[in-house]
Amino acid sequence: MTPGLEREDGSLRIRLMKGLVVSPLQLLGILVGIGLLFALPDIARSTENLPIRERPIYRGMVLGLAAVGLNLLLRHADLVSFGHAAFFGTGAYTTAILIQFYEIQSVLILIPMAIIAATLMAVLIGYFTLPHEGLYFALVTLAFGQLLYSIPRGIGELGGTDGLNVLAPSQPGTSVLDRFPRLGDIALTGSDIENSILFAVTIVVSLIMLLIMLRISKSPFGRALDAIGQQRTRARFLGLRVKRYVWAAFIISGFYGGVAGALYAIFFTSGVSPDETLQVFVSGDILYIAILGGFNTLTGPFIGGIIFEVLANIASDFELTGPGGTKEIGRMLTGIVLLIIVFVFPSGVVGSLKRGGKVREAGVDLKNDPSLIGPWLSQAASGTVAAAKRAVENVRILLLGVK
Amino acid sequence: MLEAKGLRKAFGNIVATDDVSLEFGREEGEMVFIVGPNGAGKSTLINLLTGLLDPDEGEVILDGEEITSLRADERVHKGLVRSFQVVKVFEEMTVRENIRTAILIKEEMTGGFGPRGALQGLFSLDDEHEEVEAKIEELIDQFRLEDVADDIAEELPHGDRKLLDVAMSFALDPSYLLLDEPTSGVSAQETDYVIETIVEVSEKQNVTTVTIEHDMDLVRGYADRVIALHQGSVHGEGPPSILETDDELRRLLLGVGE
Repeated sequence: MTPGLEREDGSLRIRLMKGLVVSPLQLLGILVGIGLLFALPDIARSTENLPIRERPIYRGMVLGLAAVGLNLLLRHADLVSFGHAAFFGTGAYTTAILIQFYEIQSVLILIPMAIIAATLMAVLIGYFTLPHEGLYFALVTLAFGQLLYSIPRGIGELGGTDGLNVLAPSQPGTSVLDRFPRLGDIALTGSDIENSILFAVTIVVSLIMLLIMLRISKSPFGRALDAIGQQRTRARFLGLRVKRYVWAAFIISGFYGGVAGALYAIFFTSGVSPDETLQVFVSGDILYIAILGGFNTLTGPFIGGIIFEVLANIASDFELTGPGGTKEIGRMLTGIVLLIIVFVFPSGVVGSLKRGGKVREAGVDLKNDPSLIGPWLSQAASGTVAAAKRAVENVRILLLGVK
Repeated sequence: MLEAKGLRKAFGNIVATDDVSLEFGREEGEMVFIVGPNGAGKSTLINLLTGLLDPDEGEVILDGEEITSLRADERVHKGLVRSFQVVKVFEEMTVRENIRTAILIKEEMTGGFGPRGALQGLFSLDDEHEEVEAKIEELIDQFRLEDVADDIAEELPHGDRKLLDVAMSFALDPSYLLLDEPTSGVSAQETDYVIETIVEVSEKQNVTTVTIEHDMDLVRGYADRVIALHQGSVHGEGPPSILETDDELRRLLLGVGE
């Protein structure tokens, strides 16, 4: 199947690749979205008025990528992980260790090694989660996440709570870009150009990872995971070796975390610390990001990551001065804002955009045939009930670890 | 032939299945019905045969091979398939997707663990395999699900849900099909329709069926052989006529003859 045009129910569809057929409007949305992603660092840089900064956008992208991986378990297999920072952190720490102790700088070595380490970690942790379902599965992932968090904190060589430095060697004329294979004798200097290139690389990698996830979610393997999520016992009695598939999904999920961790450590951060890569709050953020963006969508978790980090960054500027002194209330503010978002957009931000399209269509139908108002109203009512149920489901996932 | 040899299963002090030895499918395509009052151990027997439960004692033998220690999914690939008393389908999928999923699993096309390899499992589209699609249409046709083929399973009427459930079992090309009350919860009008469809398809494909059933009219109408269980043991077995001639059985089942 080659790219081209096709017609479905009389309306035009554009086939971009096997498994990716979109309407013209959707194509426009995708192109604008990708363009916006590439423009984000410039937008952030060019204005002091907008509270958008490069670092949170970048961190949002990589955490979003980790959330895309987590979503393979959440969306299809109905499993909630409270410990996905383990793979993000393993990727980041592997990169940092290779830079610090082995003086390896090339991304061609750093990224694959980080991915291998994170994937192996997923093989190990995944194995121990296999006997469990629901809340117990979530708790086992949480326990392993905490275990991993404590390791670098306790080992002085790994920098303890301060973490490891991953800055490029600070001789004149060297930059993070030296970690890339040289394509020619191009001299690139200036941190703005550097950052733009790093952003572009990350966006391209993320888009490829999203396409891979798209194909997985439409594959027979994805269908097997759906079967496990919707009726585990029946899946088994259709002949599916359920635990093997959950394990495989867990490993793929860890792979995504590893890619995210490597990108994070190599590009934009000055250091890799336990609190920013392995802590339970990072796991919570990754899970929350998937829900915020919409865990029933492919791109939701990725976009959710950017929204989440930018909002969290804005909130971190707020302080509260009281009798006990000045306190940062960023976390609390983020929590409140995000809780509101979950209730206003129970299907997540991207999921709600999709629903918005349906509502518009219904509106057009209504204009053409006013007698549809009855069914339309009852639909709206049942839609509201469904939305409330989804909001409750979101809260349940966050608090109890079960869908 | 599917054999139970001295199967025993106890839950605490309650012995659900006590030294049960039975044979199913003495001739291919045999239709066996299991009858007995509630708590007789009918479902437990099917659970033991299919691997949902492990027996405390005894063996399960399939076509001469001992399969007692095999996992449930391994037994399915050997042709031993079951359905459940409560409909177990994939609620968020359409009828077509449910059947497709069953076939993809049966053909080991879902991943890197069967002969077809990981790449196909991960990177082919689930609906692009022509032989699978052809088989889906055949099953939809056989079970007369055309009108609801693209409806979500959750929203189907109960009779159609039962038919879908059974169609998914037949999608696995079973040699032995164990049905736990296929007509439970189905309205009186739909009961005949459901059981007739099952009988028709299993006769055509020469499948040996073992069916738990409470409706004695259905048992009389379709059974080649009837097995009666009582308090975990085999009370008796024989042609459907034992339902009339065995007075004690009549008393157990119907509360008559006292």
